[in-house]
Amino acid sequence: MVRALFVLTLVLLNGCTTVVIDEYRRSNGELAKGDSVVILGRRHSSDYETEPDLIECVGNKLNNPALGVKVIPEQQFVDAMYPWFEPRTAPLHLKSLDHLMAVPEVRERLEAFGVKYIVWIDGSTETTSSAGSIGCSIGTAGAGCFGFGTWDNESDYEASVWDFRDRELSGKLSADAKGTSYMPAIVIPIPLIARVQTNACKGMAAQLQQFLLPNQANNNS
Amino acid sequence: MAFPKKGFSEVAKITLILATLLAAACAHTVRVDGQYPQPVGTQMPLTVGVYLSEDFRKYSYHEDSEDRDEWTIDTGRAQKNLFETVLGSMFTETIPLASYPQNLPKDVELVIVPEVRELQFTMPRETRVNIFEVWIKYDMHAYDQQGNAIANWVITAYGKTPTAFLKSREDALAQAINVALRDAGATLYTGFAKVPELQALLANKQRALSMKTSVPTDTTATE
Repeated sequence: MVRALFVLTLVLLNGCTTVVIDEYRRSNGELAKGDSVVILGRRHSSDYETEPDLIECVGNKLNNPALGVKVIPEQQFVDAMYPWFEPRTAPLHLKSLDHLMAVPEVRERLEAFGVKYIVWIDGSTETTSSAGSIGCSIGTAGAGCFGFGTWDNESDYEASVWDFRDRELSGKLSADAKGTSYMPAIVIPIPLIARVQTNACKGMAAQLQQFLLPNQANNNS
Repeated sequence: MAFPKKGFSEVAKITLILATLLAAACAHTVRVDGQYPQPVGTQMPLTVGVYLSEDFRKYSYHEDSEDRDEWTIDTGRAQKNLFETVLGSMFTETIPLASYPQNLPKDVELVIVPEVRELQFTMPRETRVNIFEVWIKYDMHAYDQQGNAIANWVITAYGKTPTAFLKSREDALAQAINVALRDAGATLYTGFAKVPELQALLANKQRALSMKTSVPTDTTATE
């Protein structure tokens, strides 16, 4: 009973989020036994950074060895391939991947990982506007906060799927999410947080799964 | 109103403690202790001595300006780890040197001596972008067996990290420094053979090695 109430409260305390997913597919995913997928964040821009926790979230949601999707954790891969996938050395285009493959040790290591797809995610989640104010005071009779605050968050991510073995762009997909969070305060502040980044992550992971395992998606539908 | 002599000393003590606490609240210390992965790639055919001076190994940046809090950033240990790991993997043989130019082993073909030229950082409050940024500039020196300068080049490293909920400024800055140090290692590794003087040295060494391996084959052929 208490658990059900807790879950219900959590659901009610979430702000509203809308997620729009777009997809451009050049070829269907083909994952054979032993193949793996790497999900990496783009970090070369100077004014934003693709959040590592978003990459981890997409990787965790997508990783399903039973279904045939084995995801290599981002940090493990970047460390194993150091210094070729650092923010300033990572290949920005498929052609750059050919230069990288000219280094025998790099090629051997990538082949040992069984990498079939490299998914690059570029974008970030930002607070676009905020309004309202909350004041808190403390006195002999007690303490409390009064007021109302609201803010908008926007996520804008694009994922490029590179077929590492065929050296081609398999497709692109984008996730745009928007949400408004509220925080009314009547003695105690009650945050109603819109989980914009989490919802963008879920949307992207679901779409990537359809992309990489089209047969599985058809069977489910 | 006059304080009694003992009472005044108590007030002075409390004021002093409060002042110290306030000063400490505005002073920040960051200690970076990074471990870095070994680079993947082909080793260069050189026997290299690496001298990391005490200043380099114990490098600490201190800033106490009027428009900023007081910051002490200790990167010495982390950059020692980084340079030892990266340079240790770059060449067929790497010899750490405890002193330079004294007691130089005879088989050393090149001695590399890095120095920190400058370190800079910005906070999200200053740039109005939600990221912590760090720049580190290294002066790199390469000497031959006789102590003559062969090459001097500069490595500029950049690191950033987004602000994160419930993370202190010290932790965020340490993370940005770690990213900058990884970047320094990447630039050192990928840029070494692009320095013209070092490129020439490597080409000479590779030519000498290929001649050495081809000589016995020629002898056999004439016999």
